[in-house]
Amino acid sequence: MSILCHIAISEGRIKRSSLETLSHARHIAKKNNMEVSAVIIDVKAGNYVPEVKKFGVSKIYTIESPLFEHHINSPLIEALIKVINLEKPKVMTFASTESIKDVLGAVGSRTKAGVIPDVASFDLQNGTIHAQRPIMASKFLADTESNADLVLVSVRSGSYDVQESPGDAEVIKVDFDFDENNIRQKIREIISTSGDKIDLSEAQIVVAAGRGVKDEEGKKLIMELSEVLGAAIGASRSVVETGMFSPSTQIGQTGKVVSPQLYLAVGISGAIQHTSGMVNSRIIVAINKDPEAPIFDIANYGLVGDLYKILPLLIGQIKSAKNK
Amino acid sequence: MKFYACIKQVPDLAGPMRVKDNELIQDSDRLMLNAYDASAVEEALVITEKHGGDVEVVLVGLEKAKETARKALAMGASKGTMITIDDGLNLDSAGYAEILAAFFKGAEFDVIVCGKQSQDTDAGLTGSMLAHKLQIPYASNAVGLDVDEASGMVIVKRQGDIGQEIIELPAPCLVTCSNDMNDPRIPTLKGIMQSKRKPFDAIDVKTLGLESSDLNSFIKTKVTGYRNTPGRKPGIKMEGEPEDIVKQLVDLLDNEAKVL
Ligand SMILES: Cc1cc2nc3c(=O)[nH]c(=O)nc-3n(C[C@H](O)[C@H](O)[C@H](O)COP(=O)(O)OP(=O)(O)OC[C@H]3O[C@@H](n4cnc5c(N)ncnc54)[C@H](O)[C@@H]3O)c2cc1C
Ligand SMILES: Nc1ncnc2c1ncn2[C@@H]1O[C@H](COP(=O)(O)O)[C@@H](O)[C@H]1O
Repeated sequence: MSILCHIAISEGRIKRSSLETLSHARHIAKKNNMEVSAVIIDVKAGNYVPEVKKFGVSKIYTIESPLFEHHINSPLIEALIKVINLEKPKVMTFASTESIKDVLGAVGSRTKAGVIPDVASFDLQNGTIHAQRPIMASKFLADTESNADLVLVSVRSGSYDVQESPGDAEVIKVDFDFDENNIRQKIREIISTSGDKIDLSEAQIVVAAGRGVKDEEGKKLIMELSEVLGAAIGASRSVVETGMFSPSTQIGQTGKVVSPQLYLAVGISGAIQHTSGMVNSRIIVAINKDPEAPIFDIANYGLVGDLYKILPLLIGQIKSAKNK
Repeated sequence: MKFYACIKQVPDLAGPMRVKDNELIQDSDRLMLNAYDASAVEEALVITEKHGGDVEVVLVGLEKAKETARKALAMGASKGTMITIDDGLNLDSAGYAEILAAFFKGAEFDVIVCGKQSQDTDAGLTGSMLAHKLQIPYASNAVGLDVDEASGMVIVKRQGDIGQEIIELPAPCLVTCSNDMNDPRIPTLKGIMQSKRKPFDAIDVKTLGLESSDLNSFIKTKVTGYRNTPGRKPGIKMEGEPEDIVKQLVDLLDNEAKVL
């Protein structure tokens, strides 16, 4: 019996959240006397084998095909089904990325698995998966379990630490003879914006803008601050709605879940639909002119004041602190 | 084109709610149309207003969910089907998908629109589960939707991990919608009056050829209890001259938090 971990690749790198999940899966497998295997599905899946070998897995499946150049759900589903049929795991884990959210239900339906999506933590005891899921915009946690023969679990980023463990995995190259004519969807175009420069979901520092950022001048300040910090840019729904920031940058219930070392919420009130995507950040800084804004309830450091006055000073001081 | 929107009734998250003895207690009976489903209905209405066609809605739920189906009719959907289930069934997404699949096997449609997730469970599974059961192509997390009149293709702009993907799908297909897609219309008084005369079927799962005992076997996961999310403690709130508080912040970030 084994736990099979999907290793997500994005922009030529393994997603940190996959390694977090893999590290935790290894821990659970050990407790339950099980093995851990991994699967990499990518145009160049083989390239990532050495890195995954550092995580104490017994088998690494690779599935390579030019079809994985861009995310498209039907070939990814077929690849996942193929490796599930080969490995027959008790549990399969995933990092909860948009690509996985797209296919998880279909894979679960195909394999008649129990599916527990977007968990904050999980464990395996006597063949039953017990997981904690943030629900209702993370207002509550739902203790969720499944004792199905196969359980699929996707895990929120930042839920576990990355821990290496030596091992020498057997590498299994899986043939993928998927007929392209079976793909009924066609990609017309991929639109990426400048805000996508740093992968937001993996960023160490995030500078996030809210409705308090009213105009181009404010946006420029956000850009400058993110540049001096080497941060990714995030946004609340308000400024995505106005079109000032791309939907790719949205953080929260509808948007992405992030857990950086440092999160700066600038002109964001702190509605639960926003905070559900960022409460697990290590350090939260809030800049808001309203001393009663709920964001201050979760901020380590709160600055009460006008962002248009504070940001230029902050940019200058961080520059000098970094040049020290 | 013929659209069906799958809609769900959810508790109003802004309403009072708490956890007591592992159970989630709602201190009000405020229920609403899932926000993501409202966007799905809206988008289907906009497209059929532009290219012609018709939007029906289908809802699986308790008797009281009827008013939510009525709301979609008041927005402009032409017909509602309510599939009533018994209280205490505790269906998960797989369970709902199975019932919806049984319904759609007897329906004719071009596009099924769902919400990208339920606001109460934040699961996001039903759409792709249903698409698989119906063997139709799908796209999820749509932030834009249109129909190409010349080719009849459904054009979806979906939010991916990095950037957006514009995908075309042949009908019949299924699309799950983000609320970033649009601002759902508020029903007008006229819409509400008209909704009362619109066709509305209330059926139970037996009508779809399913037995209550089948339903239990569809359920693969169960919720055993609820808790409050562990909170964060508020930290230091700095007020005063911008120069001073910025200095204080940078010092804290550098020397206490060590994140610079
Ligand atoms: C189903 C659903 C899903 C949602 N998903 C998301 C999501 O994923 N992400 C998300 O963010 N929201 C989401 N929302 C919306 C959410 O409920 C809030 O409406 C939104 O987060 C508010 O954004 P905001 O904080 O930028 O704006 P506001 O709430 O308007 O707050 C603006 C803040 O800026 C401050 N401010 C104004 N001017 C200045 C200034 N000059 N200097 C300093 N501070 C200033 C104000 O004091 C205020 O606190 C969702 C809502 C629903 C219903
Ligand atoms: N009871 C239901 N009745 C109709 N549609 C539903 C129901 N439950 C879920 N759906 C649809 O599936 C979507 C996502 O469901 P979920 O897997 O619960 O997040 C919802 O936004 C609806 O479109």
